[in-house]
Amino acid sequence: MRALTRRKFLRTSILGSLAAPWLGPGAAFAQDETAGSATGFHEGVSDDEILLGTSAAFSGPSRGLGIELYRGAQACFTRVNEQGGIGGRRIALRLYDDGYQPVPSVQNTMELLLRDQVFALFGYVGTPTVTRVLPILKKFQEENVYMFFPFTGAQPQREPPYGEFAFNLRASYREETAGLVENFLRIGRRRIAVFYQADAYGRSGWAGVREALGARGGQIVGEATYTRGAAYGRSMGEQVEILRNAGPDAVICIGAYGACAAFLRDAIDLGLEVPVANLSFVGSENLLQLIADSVDDSERYTRYLVNSQVVPSYEDESIPVVREYAELMDRYRPEVPELLRQPDYVPFDRSFVSLEGFVNAKMLVEILSRMGDSPSRDRLEQAVFTVRDYDLGIGEMVSFSEQRRQGMQRLYYTVVDQGRFVPLDDWQARFG
Amino acid sequence: MKLNMNVQKLFRRPLFGIFLLFGIIAVSTSWVCIATVDSQLSEEYETNSRGIAQTIADASVDIILNRDLSALQSLIDQFLEIQGISYIYIVNEDGEFLAHTFVPGIPGEILASDPADTGTVERVLSGADSYVEVGSPILAGVAGSVHIGMDKSVITLKIQQAVGRQMYLISSIFLVGIIAAIMLMNLAARPVEHLLTYAVQLARAEQEGEPVPGALLERDDEAGQLARLLLYFSRVADPEKAGALARPEAS
Repeated sequence: MRALTRRKFLRTSILGSLAAPWLGPGAAFAQDETAGSATGFHEGVSDDEILLGTSAAFSGPSRGLGIELYRGAQACFTRVNEQGGIGGRRIALRLYDDGYQPVPSVQNTMELLLRDQVFALFGYVGTPTVTRVLPILKKFQEENVYMFFPFTGAQPQREPPYGEFAFNLRASYREETAGLVENFLRIGRRRIAVFYQADAYGRSGWAGVREALGARGGQIVGEATYTRGAAYGRSMGEQVEILRNAGPDAVICIGAYGACAAFLRDAIDLGLEVPVANLSFVGSENLLQLIADSVDDSERYTRYLVNSQVVPSYEDESIPVVREYAELMDRYRPEVPELLRQPDYVPFDRSFVSLEGFVNAKMLVEILSRMGDSPSRDRLEQAVFTVRDYDLGIGEMVSFSEQRRQGMQRLYYTVVDQGRFVPLDDWQARFG
Repeated sequence: MKLNMNVQKLFRRPLFGIFLLFGIIAVSTSWVCIATVDSQLSEEYETNSRGIAQTIADASVDIILNRDLSALQSLIDQFLEIQGISYIYIVNEDGEFLAHTFVPGIPGEILASDPADTGTVERVLSGADSYVEVGSPILAGVAGSVHIGMDKSVITLKIQQAVGRQMYLISSIFLVGIIAAIMLMNLAARPVEHLLTYAVQLARAEQEGEPVPGALLERDDEAGQLARLLLYFSRVADPEKAGALARPEAS
């Protein structure tokens, strides 16, 4: 346990919680220092278990992202495990908290690969973390270690030299920003400014906006940054002033919910009343809750808000995967293991992030199922490539191939109406 | 022995001289120390930063030409963790900022500068903080340049620490030296003090007819000789008692 004390991260196995979440947190959670050395355990697979490894933000200002993503995935895995697992093997997750910081994420990944010997990496959160982990996967390429469906739309895991070690399900930031730019331009909002996190994530989104505007003969009219980890309590007044001086028609934010909510609050307070768009990574429900809990007239503050999403509305139960997600979230009410639980964090019944976690898990289960009774890392990539026009129940066929390592492309736009995120159908009517 | 810290008038000037000497030593060594540390640290920081800038420039070529800019940002973020480096920015050949570490935005002073200039530049940003900026061209400048800013307050802090340690040592030596000097001066002044006391007693004896104290007259050092000389002169001044001149000597 020296590593646990030294680096302040939690090494946990949630095999028990996946198998029997109804037992309650105390009984459902167990630390497992022996997993990985069990009889017959090889490359993360034993006779009754497939071990996946996760490093994500379970603490800090962006903890909501890691927690909700995990909860959605857990709902899916719990159902699979209840039904006997995959080929008689239950799916287990080894979780580490990196607090959305690159250095711990690298350390955690080394633990997952060298000590825990996980079958694959799954459910990572964030661009600055994932971009630092990718070289490790290249280093271990002979071990056939792959990263599945990280919660980031950045390019490094989508293109050489590291693209071959990761599989993405969600649309990219480049696609999200291009979609936002296109819609803003279509309604005549041509002066677009960017508020972004001063790191690889922010730069990825900034580059997407720059490229989209450049392709249409435009350029970013103003930009302001904030430091990763900034909480809602921080003032974004300086950033608002910088952007206001640029005279934008719209602002695209590339950040996490704490900072983006603070920016939205200060923008309205300082009179910058233009559409403020966020990417899917922001954590829409967390953002909305921060605003709603801190201002009297939240309608005024969210009137100009538009968020891009990579999954459909979790309230649209006409979509099969949403219906399934809703049913399982209600049935299992998943929680993070006790040692990772944040006492002051109240999970959402449903959210875009947990729905994405659920969809990711459902896709991974399908891939693992295609490996039959003898899953092995060296056949994993080929199993992914057998996914062609697969109906995940989300309204979009999913395909993977050697050249196509991103399963879905569809985007959804949402605005706040009566305190809830609803689909945005008419940009002109809302922001024109 | 009771330590008498009262400095005799006789030695006040030499003591002031010691103070002055120590002051000159402290100021001159501090000045030399500041100049040496400043020059060496500045040179070292500049050399290291230029090396880092060159490393980033070399590593940036492939990223700028083939990859997403988030990889470039990730690269410079790692170097920002090095102590003393306050900001890094990369511009392309057109002067467009491709990646930077500024929060909440790129300072106006840097926006107004020539991005192609990769020489050493001293900058004052945000109206207060001073930085030394070095640069390195990417692909001989045809792909842009990397710029690294070092916070001068880090160098200033190191100078202050070095000078502080030196001043602490000098002050300690000064304090010990002053105490030792006072003690030695008092030691040296004691025979003079005895002689003065003797002279007063002798005068009183001459005036009131009391017996002349003889202890000092028995000493064979300069104080004893002076005491005997004083007694001789007092006898010469009063011929009636001149016969007594030889008596103490005889004893």
